[in-house]
This record gives sequence, structure tokens and C-alpha cells, in this order.
Amino acid sequence: MSVKEIYDPFNYATHANPYPIYRELRDNHPVYHNQTNNFWALSRYQDVVFAARNFKLFSSAKGTSLEYVGELAPILIDSDPVMHTRLRHLISGEFTPAHVARLERRVRDYAQRLLAPLRERGEFDVIADFSAKLPMAIICGLLGFPEQDEDMLRQWTDDCVHRDEGVFEMPEQGLIATQNMYGYFEEQMQARRRKRQDDIVQKFVDSEDKGQLSHEESLGYLYILSIAGNETTTKLIGNMAWQLDAHPEAIKRLADNPALIGQSIEETMRIDGPTHMMARTTTADIPLHGKVIPAGAKVALLFMSANRDERKYPTPDEFVLDRNPKDHLGFGGGIHACMGAALARLEARVAWEEIFKLTDAFEVQQDRTQRMHSPQVRGFTHLPIRFNPRRTAPAH
Amino acid sequence: MIRVTYRTQNGEDYIAEAMDGMTIMEAALSAGVPEILGLCGGICSCATCHVHVDPEWAAKLTPPDDEEGAMLEAIDHKAPTSRLGCQVRLDDSHDGLLVHVFDVS
Repeated sequence: MSVKEIYDPFNYATHANPYPIYRELRDNHPVYHNQTNNFWALSRYQDVVFAARNFKLFSSAKGTSLEYVGELAPILIDSDPVMHTRLRHLISGEFTPAHVARLERRVRDYAQRLLAPLRERGEFDVIADFSAKLPMAIICGLLGFPEQDEDMLRQWTDDCVHRDEGVFEMPEQGLIATQNMYGYFEEQMQARRRKRQDDIVQKFVDSEDKGQLSHEESLGYLYILSIAGNETTTKLIGNMAWQLDAHPEAIKRLADNPALIGQSIEETMRIDGPTHMMARTTTADIPLHGKVIPAGAKVALLFMSANRDERKYPTPDEFVLDRNPKDHLGFGGGIHACMGAALARLEARVAWEEIFKLTDAFEVQQDRTQRMHSPQVRGFTHLPIRFNPRRTAPAH
Repeated sequence: MIRVTYRTQNGEDYIAEAMDGMTIMEAALSAGVPEILGLCGGICSCATCHVHVDPEWAAKLTPPDDEEGAMLEAIDHKAPTSRLGCQVRLDDSHDGLLVHVFDVS
């Protein structure tokens, strides 16, 4: 007879609406222990920040998933300094706001190309027709993967993050997709050895030759970049549609004044950001709120609970366009904070600028939405909207 | 080992033993310096790793690039030796570095 767990990220009902569960954790179980799968969870803003910053006490070296996901390749997010330091700085300079700003034209051209044929239809699927494609095209461009491979790669990354209901491990489909991706990266790297290209894959090949990176590290790095560069921004763009659907007045303000789109993205990242949780492993006993998390325990850092902590933000469950939070944990925090945050912000902003050129009034068709199922990432796989095509251009 | 001292406004010192290639921000987190938040993880976009480099050391660091310079323009407590900790990579030549940090909350 299993215990009924308050927080079970492998239960699909949790994905439908985790927020009442998070509030229960914050109020009554700030140091929560899930006995069924033997992990802990931190849910208050202050505690999550504490854990995210203290990378020595809360290590990433044993992975950032709660469950078993196969033998770990050396991956940036699953590492501590000094390995983390070496891997991150290899390409982190290319993800600063000024560097990614150079990609704006490319992002906009592609967004326009995707949206143009939808204009007269009066409806489209924000995810399937648009936001599933845009970030994948951009990250594939940076990595150097050919356009015709994008759909295949997207399917693989979707398979990698999907979890079957109630099953505390990566399903076979995900393990197969992981193998396929590693095989694909291997081919790509070999192709760069035959003929040089100006892309990240080439950079890794060169770094291997200089002894700065092992081959396994290259493959692991490409794996995490492919997944992170695709899954989360896709869901962010969709989650903003979901939030705006409940706030028609915000739609009107954004349509009238696209300069507010940036802060709308920040508030979406706070209230409904795609990355709900990352796991750590404790390296010492940690006394907190009258309990002790033992050394060697898996701990879920609940970023989206922290972002709705009443102790941090007033009226945390309300989407407030003018809140413009700068200290939310939508991109995590500390040395593992999302390396692609500036790129995600750019892609989401341009995506929404282009959507608002298409329409100034839309509604989500709520009965036709579908959610993805992952213990860590939350968002839609289908999010159809009906819209009125815009007759007047937005002010700029 | 590269020893970096973070001195608070109260004169309290935190000493980090940084590894080669770490940034001032990362070393601060490893030493638990409360004043350095490092919220954005080092992509030069939150300025929560702002430090004043001790004047004796300022000239020994690679100067800020344009992007860091632009961020520094916009922050509180700006001083002539202000730097974003995430943009300063450490090596053996920085052993003994002293930076000043302040309570930002």
C-alpha cells in the first residue's frame, strides 16, 4: 500500500495544476520528503535561492533529474566546478545579451516565415505551427545542424523529456532517442573533421583537438544544448498565450504598445515559466525548518513554487503585466542559471512582436489544448488559438 | 590555488579559494559571500555580482568589454573600479585579489 504523496511530479494530475500543491508545500511542508520515491523538495523562494546558490552543499554532479535517466554522460548542468567551470566558459560568452542580439534578424525572419501563411486562416496552433519550430531552427543554426533534420531532432528531444505516468525513470522511447541523438552528434562531428563549418559543433571538434574537451563531454554538451535550446522556449511562448488568454486587457495593452512585451515575458517566466524543477544531491546533512535533509539525498528545487511564494511576491497567483520581476527563478539561479536565458528572452520577445503584428485579439481554444508530461518542464504540445487578423499595424 | 578576498561594508572578509578559470562571481558563490547573488549565472545580464575592485588591483585586470561597460553604466553604487564579477576570469596572477562587496537587498 503506497502512501498518498502530496507532491508527485510523475502524476499527470500534478502537471494539470501544480500550484495548489506548491502552496500546500510552502505553507505546511517547506522541507518535504516524498517517501515513495525517496526525494526531498524545497518550495519557498528563500530556500530555493539558498540551494541554487550553494552548489557545494547542493551538488549537480549526480544529475539534475530525480529519476534514473540512464548512465550519465558528462553534461554541463550535471556537473560541479571545476568541470562545470571549464565546460560553461567554453561557450558562455556567446550567450550574453549583446552576442545573442546579433541573432534578432534571423529570429524575426524565421518567425515571419512561419506566421505569414497563417494570417488568413484566423486560427493556428501556437505550439505546433509556430513555437515548436522557431527555437529549434535557431539552436540548430547555432549548432550547425541542417534544416531538414529539425523535425527529427525535435521528436527526439520531445521523447527525452517525456515521462510515462507514475513511472520513476526515463521510458524506453527516451533512452532510444538519447542513443539516436548521440549517434547523430557523432556523425556531425565527423563531418566537421572532413569539412570545416562555422558553428558550435566545429568549436567542440577544435576544443577536443586542443585537449580542452573530451569526446564524451562534446556529445553530452550537444545533447543538453539541443534539449534546452528547444523544449523550454517553445513552452514559454505557449505559456504566455495561456496567461494572456485569461487577461484580455493585457492583450489589448500589448497590441497597442509592443514595448511592454519584454516585461510580459518576465511575468510569464515568474508565474508560468516552463522549468518547474531541477534536482540536486546533498553533500552534507542540511538542517532546515526543524528537519534534516540527510547527506546524499536527492532534492527537488521547485522554481515555480518559489516564484509564487507569498513571502516574496504580493498576490503571487495573479498575472500582473506591470510587475516586471527581475529576481524570479524562472531561469534558475547561481552558477547553473540558464545559459540561454538571453536567447530565450530574445526569441520569445520577437515571437510575440510578430504575433501581435498578426492579431490584436485572440482566444485560446481551451477544449483542444494538450499538455506535455515531464516532471521538470511544464507546457503545451498543442495550443490552438482563434484570432482576428490585424488591420492596423502596431505602433512602434 | 587563487585566493580572493571579498570585503563587506562592515569590514568582514570572506576568502575564496578559486580554481583556475573561475570568475569572481563563481568563486564568491563557492565561498558563500552573501552579497554576491549571481542570479543570471554569468551571462552579463543581472548585475547582481557587482564588485568594486581594490584600486591596487584594478589595473591588473583585463578591462571591461563594451557589454560589461554598458551594464556598469546602469547600476547603483558605481565606482571607478566597478566590475561585474561574472565577467572577470581568474588565473594564478590574481592570487591575493581584494574586492569590495555591498549589501544589495
